[in-house]
Amino acid sequence: MNDKETEEMKVVSPDAEAEAGAGEVKTDSASYPDLLTVSPSPHLRNHDSTRSVMTEVIIALIPALVWGVITFGLRALTLTLVSVVACVAFEALAQLALRRRITVSDMSAALTGLFIALNMPVSAPLWIPAVASFFAIVIVKQVFGGIGKNIVNPAMAARVFVMLSWAGQMTKFTAAGARYPFFGNVAGGYDAVASATPLAALKSGNVPDASLFDMFTGKIGGCIGEVSTLLLLLGGIYLIVRRIITWHIPVAYIGTVAVLTYAFPKTGDAVTFMLYELTAGGLMLGAFFMATDYTTSPISPMGRIVYGIGCGALTVLIRYFGGYPEGTSFAILIMNLLVWYLDSAFKPRWFGASTLKRREREKKKKEKTEKAA
Amino acid sequence: MFTFKGGTHINEYKLTKDFPTEKIGAPERVMISMSQHIGAPCTPTVAEGDRVLAGQVIGDVAPDKLGCPVHASVSGRVAGIEQILGASGMKETCVVIENDGTDEQFDGLAPFEGDITSATPDEIIDVIRSAGITGMGGAAFPSYAKIRSALGKADTVIVNCAECEPFITSDHRLLLEEPEHVVGGLKIIMIALGVKRAFIAVEDNKRDAAGVLRDTVGGGDMIRVCLMKTKYPQGDERQLIYALLKTELPMGMLPMDAGCVIFNAGTCSAIYDAFTSGLPLMKRIVTVSGDCVKKPGNYIVPLGMRVSEIVEKCGGLVKEPRKIIFGGPMMGKSEWSLNTPVKKGTSAILLLSEAFESKPVKDPECIRCGRCVKNCPMHLMPAYIAQYSRIGNMEMAKKFGAMSCVECGTCSYNCPAKIEIVQYIRSAKNNIKAEERRLAALKQSGS
Repeated sequence: MNDKETEEMKVVSPDAEAEAGAGEVKTDSASYPDLLTVSPSPHLRNHDSTRSVMTEVIIALIPALVWGVITFGLRALTLTLVSVVACVAFEALAQLALRRRITVSDMSAALTGLFIALNMPVSAPLWIPAVASFFAIVIVKQVFGGIGKNIVNPAMAARVFVMLSWAGQMTKFTAAGARYPFFGNVAGGYDAVASATPLAALKSGNVPDASLFDMFTGKIGGCIGEVSTLLLLLGGIYLIVRRIITWHIPVAYIGTVAVLTYAFPKTGDAVTFMLYELTAGGLMLGAFFMATDYTTSPISPMGRIVYGIGCGALTVLIRYFGGYPEGTSFAILIMNLLVWYLDSAFKPRWFGASTLKRREREKKKKEKTEKAA
Repeated sequence: MFTFKGGTHINEYKLTKDFPTEKIGAPERVMISMSQHIGAPCTPTVAEGDRVLAGQVIGDVAPDKLGCPVHASVSGRVAGIEQILGASGMKETCVVIENDGTDEQFDGLAPFEGDITSATPDEIIDVIRSAGITGMGGAAFPSYAKIRSALGKADTVIVNCAECEPFITSDHRLLLEEPEHVVGGLKIIMIALGVKRAFIAVEDNKRDAAGVLRDTVGGGDMIRVCLMKTKYPQGDERQLIYALLKTELPMGMLPMDAGCVIFNAGTCSAIYDAFTSGLPLMKRIVTVSGDCVKKPGNYIVPLGMRVSEIVEKCGGLVKEPRKIIFGGPMMGKSEWSLNTPVKKGTSAILLLSEAFESKPVKDPECIRCGRCVKNCPMHLMPAYIAQYSRIGNMEMAKKFGAMSCVECGTCSYNCPAKIEIVQYIRSAKNNIKAEERRLAALKQSGS
């Protein structure tokens, strides 16, 4: 450092600042710092952060949540608040207990909470989302090492956990237009239990009562956030346009389900059956939001396609032959476990690999001709 | 429009693109480093107390070694030969010259005699070497050596005017103001190599420069001015060759293997000057920019002028700088000293305040968003390499292609978790190389 010069400039600076006045550009007021920062390149960063990425996903989910509130009543909001607050609180507590830095401000816990609520039937008792939040954040996420380290999607794992544990409450789906209030006793007289959900009908080989238009717009029974194909599609497209996710997983996932259900329809017209399968259950929520969860999906483009195909095939298999009407959660959980293998098996082709290969081929050809000669 | 797969568009910050180049007054003292280029450093050929003239050789390397002479940028008395700590942390020898202000030129300098078009390659290479010309884009590889090694192998010359780094506008201004120098230099290189095809690659944020160049080149199909998509790292030699010729050049292969030689616009201009006026490389255009300088601009700076003096001539500071960067913000080096002199490869000096510094994140965790994979121009998975490097598993880092990394920094730039990905990869590369050296040494001592 040029100490002398720096010192002199520092002495000069206060006077110069006073002279320069408030409105003018302060020309001589700045001086060199005592120490310059030395760091490895690059010296520029973009403005995205983990927090901004998570916030974008939350924004993309808001239409689906609003639709859930419209169709099922304000209680959808109550459940969401419970699970979001529980997730954030459990994350902070777990990080305190594990002596980690508290990172609730990165919004990832809030997002998990939102996912949990969207995967609940509106009639679920309030303690279920709380238990699910505990399982998602503490067991699945923090015990495995926190953000970026969990091997399965926390919200999916939690949904499966509570669904298997309290099957009665978790599979009691409410018909659209039930209007549950913000507070209130669920067991009361609301026409809580709808007839079979579209998925259950499809499973038994019947065409659902709801029209395809109702299925698409979301005037059907089901979980809070999964009913409106249209709004989830919009949210998913928003994420792709904002470059939060890439097209690979949703296209491969939905495409595989479409091809398989079209090829092997259980009932009636193949196209109609396929469209019912695509709009029923949690497929859209799963393909655009759950399967694309960063931590538990591959990062290589080819790996993402294979992962999407795997999710789609497993979803259809479970829907056709499994014990449950819905297969998305199980399919995604199973594929989550394969992520590392998919990434290392389907690495992107290195820049220059084609040239090296061509050179090798030419070399072999040359050797062959030389041998022949 | 030519482009490549991967990369990312970075806010350009080309604040100085409309500022014509200005001469900056020579300082009272210049510190001319003897390590101006890649290769062997020069040994001073002058001693303390000697009087030197502008353009006189003050340091040279043995002819059999890689390197070219260094010339005095001002006339005056040699005040001393000092050791300074360079940007890389290694000691560098510097010749300090006290400027006498007369700017007397060395009388041994003369333009090239005779017809350039019929000159032999050796004659041309000789002139370029003795003019001390190196690559002026940053890496500073001696130009004569590049031409010599490409003799008979190359069929294409590419002039790299992509200037894909933010802030830097020195090449842009050069193209606008002296396009005939750049094209003239290119023609000399083409004569030396005997090639019939050349590309001048300009990013499409400099359409004005491309237009001027097209007018200068005129007719003929030997030299083509190509517009490249504005995207970082378009100016990387591998990406440039891929964009223009669709040949993927893997790490470990040189542009020559694809039949190409690549020169920077400034280098071409310097070669032209050496032939037409006989002047060696002793000044260059430097973009002084950033939010801390009062008068940012493109300045013609004598080699060996120090940062503090340049900033003073640019009107001083408006803000306290946090970092002073030599080169672009993506691949340039941040300097620790205000005494660092300008070298042949210094295309820009940036003074950035803390507004440009991203807040450091403590223990950043990868969220596996995959942006580094999507944008990697070498098609690697930087996140995995960085993770393996972090836990010390160099074998896996190598398997994921650590050695293919060109360290362009696109991954670190895009990372939302603000992980120093490229730094982890650098560390992996160094470890892998060290291990290879160790094994080689073991093998040698064993046999």
